[in-house]
Amino acid sequence: MPKITLAGENSILIYFGDKIDAFLPEKIANFANQLKITFKDSVISTTPSYTSLLVSYNLNKMTYHAFKGSVESLLKNDLVNCDQIQPKLTHIPVFYDKEVGLDLERLLDEKQMDLDAFIQIHSHTEYLVYAIGFAPGFAFLAEVDERIQAPRLDTPRLKIPKGSVAIADSQTAIYPGESSGGWNIIGRTLIDLSFDNPENLEKFQVGDKVKFYPISREEYLSNGGEL
Amino acid sequence: MSFKVIKAGFLSTIQDYGRLGHTQHGMSQSGAMDEHAYAWGNYLLNNRFDAASLEITFGGVELIVQTQTFIAVTGADLNFKINGESAKMWHTIHVTEGDVLSWGISKSGLRAYLTVKDGFKTQVFFGSRSVNLRERIGAAIQEDDELPCALYLGANYRFTPPKFIPNHGDDLILRLLPSYQFDEFNLEQRELFFNQNYQITQANDRSGCRLDGAPIALPKQAMISEGISYGSVEISNDGLPIIILKDGPSIGGYRKIGTVFSLDLAKLAQRQAHSKLRFKAITIDQAQRERKLFNHFFKINV
Repeated sequence: MPKITLAGENSILIYFGDKIDAFLPEKIANFANQLKITFKDSVISTTPSYTSLLVSYNLNKMTYHAFKGSVESLLKNDLVNCDQIQPKLTHIPVFYDKEVGLDLERLLDEKQMDLDAFIQIHSHTEYLVYAIGFAPGFAFLAEVDERIQAPRLDTPRLKIPKGSVAIADSQTAIYPGESSGGWNIIGRTLIDLSFDNPENLEKFQVGDKVKFYPISREEYLSNGGEL
Repeated sequence: MSFKVIKAGFLSTIQDYGRLGHTQHGMSQSGAMDEHAYAWGNYLLNNRFDAASLEITFGGVELIVQTQTFIAVTGADLNFKINGESAKMWHTIHVTEGDVLSWGISKSGLRAYLTVKDGFKTQVFFGSRSVNLRERIGAAIQEDDELPCALYLGANYRFTPPKFIPNHGDDLILRLLPSYQFDEFNLEQRELFFNQNYQITQANDRSGCRLDGAPIALPKQAMISEGISYGSVEISNDGLPIIILKDGPSIGGYRKIGTVFSLDLAKLAQRQAHSKLRFKAITIDQAQRERKLFNHFFKINV
């Protein structure tokens, strides 16, 4: 039975596990969905992240005790009466090159690896969206193969170009907009993932999958990629 | 029909009740930092509770009125003037074409709210007009900007009773709900947290407020990033608290000792660096009772 903790005067945090686990994101996304359907007048927002779900609710309508009790009884039921979320798989083209991958040369050097091998490893995995945060639309993807993992930079960069693809330890991500940040930049995508395009709002949701594929400099540039 | 910006000041942004419901997309809640002053502004003009106001931080702003309407100025005392004459705060005021509204430097508090009848009609982003500079949603006001609003010829005059006008110089006690990882902090750490005066540092903005004081030791267990609610008090690796505010991140991996009650965060929004504050525990029943009364009075239904 998941554990529920107070998170604020109108929010609770539900823990579905105490370890990061690949089966949790979809389970949490499904429960968030069910919660929003069951208590559509009371639930204000849900924030899934790795092992937990933060839920804020309308305190004018329900007290903490009443809301917590309702969530507990919902948690006891199996999710049989509810449409299950269908996780999406999104393919993202990446131009992996030191021209746009600001840390790529250093990483290859540190790992004594050639570019093709690195690309093969990064683009081979089907990553899972564990959380969205840090910036609007920034999806935390895991799990990066140990052979290409790298810790965050000691000093974060002030400016990382939009579309940069990056690695931090076991996680990888795409910076949807220009941003500061301390992840290792290994390439760039030309796909616009920013919320300047409102259709991107639902592009990635916790529980979805992402796979990268390499494109050439020519493909990148001819489709509008910037250097 | 609008107000035109003559001087943009240090940092003035349009804010409303906030961008609720988009934390799952990684967006902060945003919205007015001082909910007390913001709610009174809308009340004085009989606006909806979520109409958009101009949040003026530190002053230095001058606007010219280009339409006949009604306004109210609440929050920090930033030497508000109309046509060069000191003007009333916390009152409904009639303004007309050519009136010049100005805010100088702070006499007390940090953030003033200019509310206009029916709210400013600036661009809506994801269900809210709130600007969030950290997320690059909207922009601070700039010279020559036009802030759209509606024409109004009549309105009821209202004022805020003096007992509801806060004194921004008072010692601040932030009531805290023990929440999140509170139980992981041992008795000694909790006592140190509740029994000291903290000081607000320069790192105090719309995203968060970092405090200085005696560091508390952190529990050893690893943390997994989780959703952060408004007012969460993170204890960073140096053992000092950061209070997460309206533009703060939606998830984070620091341990949290509790969550500050929202109406006390409204007071914090008016405190400058070097001000002192203390924390005091509050129960969830008490916090919800007080917030519900506030919501009921100001017709806030979320």
